[in-house]
Amino acid sequence: MTINDKTTGITTSSPPPNALQLTLLIHCLICSTDMASSSPHGIKLAVHLLSAYFGDIVSKVGECLLNKGTLSLAQVIRFTELTKQKVTNSLLVLIQHNCVQAFAIQQPGGFGEPPKIVTQYMALHNNIIHHMRFPKFLSMLPSDFDEDCKKIIEGLLQHGRLSLNQVRDRHKGKHKALVTSEGNGNATNMLHENFNRLAQARFIERCPAHEPFLERPEEGAKKRVAKSKLADVTQTLEARALAAAAPMESQRFLVEADTWSNGALDDDSKKSPTKEVVGEKRKQDSLEPETETWATNKNKEVLWRVNFEEFVLRLRHKSCVSHVTTRVDSAAGIVLSAIFAASRKDETKVKAENTVPLLLQTIFDEAMNSEEGRSLTIERVRASLVQLGCELPTIGIDETYSVDLKKIIDQAQAQEVESIVLKKYGREAYRIFRLLSERERFFETDKISATTFVEKKDALKILFQLWKDDLLHMERIGNESQKTEILLWKLNKRSVWEQVLDDMYHAALNLKLRILYEFEQAKDPEKQAMLVKKWKVLEASLMILDDAIMLFHDF
Amino acid sequence: MSESQIRKRPDHILGNVLVEADKAVLNVINTRGKSAISRRNIQQETKLPMNIVAKCVKKLTDLLLIKEIKHGRIYHYIATENSPSNTVTGGGCYPDDKKEFINQVKDICLKIVKELKVTTADGVYNVFIKEHKLTKVELSRQQISEILGVMVLENLIIEVKSTGYGEYRSVPVGDVCYRCHEGNVNHGSDVGAMSSIPCGVCPRIRECTPDGLVSPSACVYFTKWLEF
Ligand code: SF4
Repeated sequence: MTINDKTTGITTSSPPPNALQLTLLIHCLICSTDMASSSPHGIKLAVHLLSAYFGDIVSKVGECLLNKGTLSLAQVIRFTELTKQKVTNSLLVLIQHNCVQAFAIQQPGGFGEPPKIVTQYMALHNNIIHHMRFPKFLSMLPSDFDEDCKKIIEGLLQHGRLSLNQVRDRHKGKHKALVTSEGNGNATNMLHENFNRLAQARFIERCPAHEPFLERPEEGAKKRVAKSKLADVTQTLEARALAAAAPMESQRFLVEADTWSNGALDDDSKKSPTKEVVGEKRKQDSLEPETETWATNKNKEVLWRVNFEEFVLRLRHKSCVSHVTTRVDSAAGIVLSAIFAASRKDETKVKAENTVPLLLQTIFDEAMNSEEGRSLTIERVRASLVQLGCELPTIGIDETYSVDLKKIIDQAQAQEVESIVLKKYGREAYRIFRLLSERERFFETDKISATTFVEKKDALKILFQLWKDDLLHMERIGNESQKTEILLWKLNKRSVWEQVLDDMYHAALNLKLRILYEFEQAKDPEKQAMLVKKWKVLEASLMILDDAIMLFHDF
Repeated sequence: MSESQIRKRPDHILGNVLVEADKAVLNVINTRGKSAISRRNIQQETKLPMNIVAKCVKKLTDLLLIKEIKHGRIYHYIATENSPSNTVTGGGCYPDDKKEFINQVKDICLKIVKELKVTTADGVYNVFIKEHKLTKVELSRQQISEILGVMVLENLIIEVKSTGYGEYRSVPVGDVCYRCHEGNVNHGSDVGAMSSIPCGVCPRIRECTPDGLVSPSACVYFTKWLEF
């Protein structure tokens, strides 16, 4: 199937799934590494974003990797029918902007030939989608990080990867007035300090290795894998590639003094790993070759990028606090905020199921640090912890608490799906859906009708509608001799939640396309006045929808 | 044939239709007045074999002389002219305007739960009993429980297990109790990100493609939504 989008010029094609694609799909269901999404509209949205930010050629290469999975350069050329030069350049752009990860594997050679090393490229779907969240990420930077810190983050978001010297170049370009030798030294020190602070707070990190080499799995292990699910092979390969590329934890946020070159500005810029002029926005389709090999290795400069994980983690915290504030009360929100603040250093996993266990006194002290928390007593903090689902320890000394975050996320997700059902199918359907969602088991029609107080014939109508829209699973149990048939209904949360996420990606893409359409319409001078209003509504809705996408996909 | 017509039918006419066994069964049911009786009890009182009781009951039901009421998994029988008492119907029988009636009860239950902050189904029921005539129809404990269940499904109240601490002090640990949302919960209405945009609740989302007949640029739902 080929889709031509006249408004954006994107051509999206979705060929019939091949074995690799199926493997990827299975794989994506079983592991959460940052690879191609299993959601078809998630891929379409990613392709649209690539096209909008980097042009059609880059998006074609990205689309090929997203749809077909990890490929070698030769395979990408074959599938996209683009020239080698264009594919290479596109891959460089995608790598520079953290949308693709390369890795090398050894493949057996042909007849009598020695084995060869082949570079593979995998699309990082999550990172592509993060591109539409950059304004949100920027707004998450705490207020104690000043404008200069914000500028560093902005630069890294705009350019994908920069070395410290390039960051300094950008800074100098923007502060030309300070380029006297003394002022220069001060500004440089300031910048270094800010850079360090951002790294310590984990907002920026060293980039992963460009092309880690993956050893072939042991022969024995290979046989075992071959017998097991096909998906495991991909999981091993791509998850291994990401793990191998990631910098060591001790190095990840380390800003070494010696990486800070005091050499002349001009020399540094010559060494720059990209020919792109730092400080200028990358123009679409500016696909000049950067270097034959990855230039960053040649210059031995450490490259830095924004640590998306930290921003996602903070957005997750924000989402949990906002959910408990509305669902429980503001005191519970303050207490949960205090827990996050007190455990910031120890919490590194984005999808942690529980908060780091903390002493009641620690939580109380942290709550006291905030303006809103000052009115709370220790008793109230304890009561809020109970409201948040914590169990009271039997022994009162050194009482520690850990909040079940997974439960909060689950509730927030359920609330989102339920609100769709309420609006789309009505209040009676909402009751039925909540009954089936809270108790994930088979229910008989009569039982559903009796428990939800919905007349049987109405209940049946609703159930069939929900079933038709893939929200419910139905089973018929017949008794041939008595000519009776019982209908059993069940909600399969996992598949429904996946469906909802796909619809969310679809809706986000539609909002994006509608924004483009409205801009086109506004060429007519009469319609321009309305454009700003419409644009604001569409953009705000997209950001809120994106929060929901993150709730289902990233949290 | 309406029930009033049946009731007015002279007994001598029925005499021709009903056999002795039918009359015995009808007699037992009539003597119970407003309480219903199960087949087993009819059989014990009439000493008739079970299959005969079953036949009689069927015939009397067809003639609209008695009514069948399901109580749990067992059927009970009552004379048509006697409306069923609540102890018989348990949670199953409500006035004809059931929806309206239940909405009234829900409003009252919500007020009670709000007032008591945390309470069990029994707690709500007791208020109904103490403050007599909150509704015209007397409600059973089970009915109150069922209505509270529906309120939970409607997200009007939440069902929690008592921790025995703080506000839950009055409820034994582990017992199911009910409370209102403390936060600013909108009971499931327009709070969702998807439900507040056209595509989120669009019946045609599966057919919608960038360049298809149904597309975001040609979408009437969007056009209407963006009319200020
Ligand atoms: S763009 Fe319009 S037609 Fe398409 S899914 Fe959204 S609301 Fe429905």
